[in-house]
Amino acid sequence: MPETADLEHVKPYADHHGDGIVQLSFTLPLPDGLAARKAAMELAGKMGFQHPEVVHHQRLTDGHTYFVMYGHTVHTVDYATLAEEGIDIVQYMTEEEVEAYAQEHVRRPIVVVGASTGTDTHSVGIDAMLNLKGFHGHKGLEGYRAFEAHNLGSQVPNGALVAKAIELEADAILVSQTVTQQNLHIHNLTELVEIVEAEGRRRETILACGGPRVSNELAKELGYDAGFSKGTYPHHLATFLVRELAARLGQGEPEEDARDLPPAGRAAFADHIPRGNLAG
Amino acid sequence: MEQLAELTAPARRLALVGLAKNTGKTETLAALLRELQARGRRVGVTSVGRDGEERDVIDIRIEKPRVELCAGSLVATTDALLRAGAIPHEIVSETGVRTPLGRVLIARLLARGTIEVAGPSAAADVREVADTMLAHGAEQVLIDGAIDRRAASSPAVSDGLVMSTGATLHEEIEQVVGRTRDAVELVRLPELNQQHVREIAASNAASMLVGGPEEEPLTLHPRFVLTSTAPDIGQLLRARPTASHLVVRGALCEPFLAELLSARKLAPPPRELELVVADPTKVFLTDHGVDWYRRQGISMTVLTSIDLRALTVNPVAPQSHRFDSPRLRAMLEEAIPGLPMLDVRDPTHHLVPAA
Repeated sequence: MPETADLEHVKPYADHHGDGIVQLSFTLPLPDGLAARKAAMELAGKMGFQHPEVVHHQRLTDGHTYFVMYGHTVHTVDYATLAEEGIDIVQYMTEEEVEAYAQEHVRRPIVVVGASTGTDTHSVGIDAMLNLKGFHGHKGLEGYRAFEAHNLGSQVPNGALVAKAIELEADAILVSQTVTQQNLHIHNLTELVEIVEAEGRRRETILACGGPRVSNELAKELGYDAGFSKGTYPHHLATFLVRELAARLGQGEPEEDARDLPPAGRAAFADHIPRGNLAG
Repeated sequence: MEQLAELTAPARRLALVGLAKNTGKTETLAALLRELQARGRRVGVTSVGRDGEERDVIDIRIEKPRVELCAGSLVATTDALLRAGAIPHEIVSETGVRTPLGRVLIARLLARGTIEVAGPSAAADVREVADTMLAHGAEQVLIDGAIDRRAASSPAVSDGLVMSTGATLHEEIEQVVGRTRDAVELVRLPELNQQHVREIAASNAASMLVGGPEEEPLTLHPRFVLTSTAPDIGQLLRARPTASHLVVRGALCEPFLAELLSARKLAPPPRELELVVADPTKVFLTDHGVDWYRRQGISMTVLTSIDLRALTVNPVAPQSHRFDSPRLRAMLEEAIPGLPMLDVRDPTHHLVPAA
């Protein structure tokens, strides 16, 4: 019988359960030699690894050496508790599953209005999510029976986007923004949320934002219901929207909470899109 | 520093709002918590965004202040963060609010500790959570904002406001002072005086164009203020030349003000127009401040004003520049009279009494 892990004290597994062996690699700006290997060992020790050993070292250029090391971590994680408390990952639905779910739980077209707002001229992300063509062989929301999608394009003022959403009685507003380290578009994203609040429609409107640097943590700070980043396909967004709306309509099942989607899978409207698709 | 607690004591639900990220909002929260804990006050804490996280969500080089709460404090945060905080607690309420980080619970802490706070984001949910914490014995609820979000400072949500400003607004100190002055002026928009306009606003759910007490007010198209262009507005103003007030339901965004100005330039009206909004959080200005519009003949008033209790000043822009704290405060005090100002991290700071 194969050895099983202690789920309350999970450690990395290399040769046998519980050995905690980790492989790590890095480059040091040092010439290859004994002193550099000692430096690498000391660094791994400072990272908290026990019994660090250099298993590979290679000169990259003059004065730069690449290392591969093994080390034993002493730390464990309690997976049993995590699994118990229901943050386990729900799979994304396929296009057909989204349609079937919407038909059963929503029973009317889900109205979605999207734009790239403010001064942002990048419409590629919102186009990939909303337009029929989608990307990578995955059709956009426009191609679903479950959705009535309106793409307002780029450089749309926040007030105009909200006005259109009110006019169409939209269930969801999608905003695509290229958030940079200089916070260029942060204000623009928060302003949209605040205008929806000022219009008294925050509770009945699903707000989602997407961009290459958008995470769930950022979405929470901005005041959105979800954030999508790299690697998002339209059916990921569609899964979130149908589950979220069904939950709000009292039609969802608790274990299908849209927010149980894995953060890593919540990906952006932009980025990840193959170059060849940009012109499309 | 002892005085922040007293300055804000009248507000049972106190909102903390920053003019941008890294203006020291969470430092203000932490300072206020220390003062309240020293006085033995039982607090409730919620955050519109996240508080007490170790690293900034946009720039991981920036370390964030931790939020330390003492035993007996109430906190609104998500199930996962409560678990990660590992402080003994009891759940007093499940709010039913869901955020991208999980479901929001209200817990009473049974021991002192640091915890990441992430409550509801929607203003109506924030109010409900604040009221629930008051009902469970909190003497004061602190509502921390996020980034530059202001909705929680609406009188529909909170009873008082502390605003945070700082060097991060601009590299030039004069710009920081100017932008802060504009933001304070917006927050301090005065209340509408005319009783007949107030009555019309109270009995109508739509935006209204109002003239004298004897005139029949005009009901506007539901999205008029969000979508109208100068010709639409000009037509309306020509039809009602005696209009004195435009009661705006919902958001008043700057593009409308620009269109209104053009309309008034083409056909100069006989009188000034007062725009009336529910409260200052409904007004969205980027290019010009309230004072600038007043000079163009457009004034703004509110149905309910915000009680701004104090301004905190952070002289440091992380990973960028810093100003001399006393100098920045002196310039702000000159530009914004009658508002208590303090730098919560400056041990030598003196509180300038409001004039």
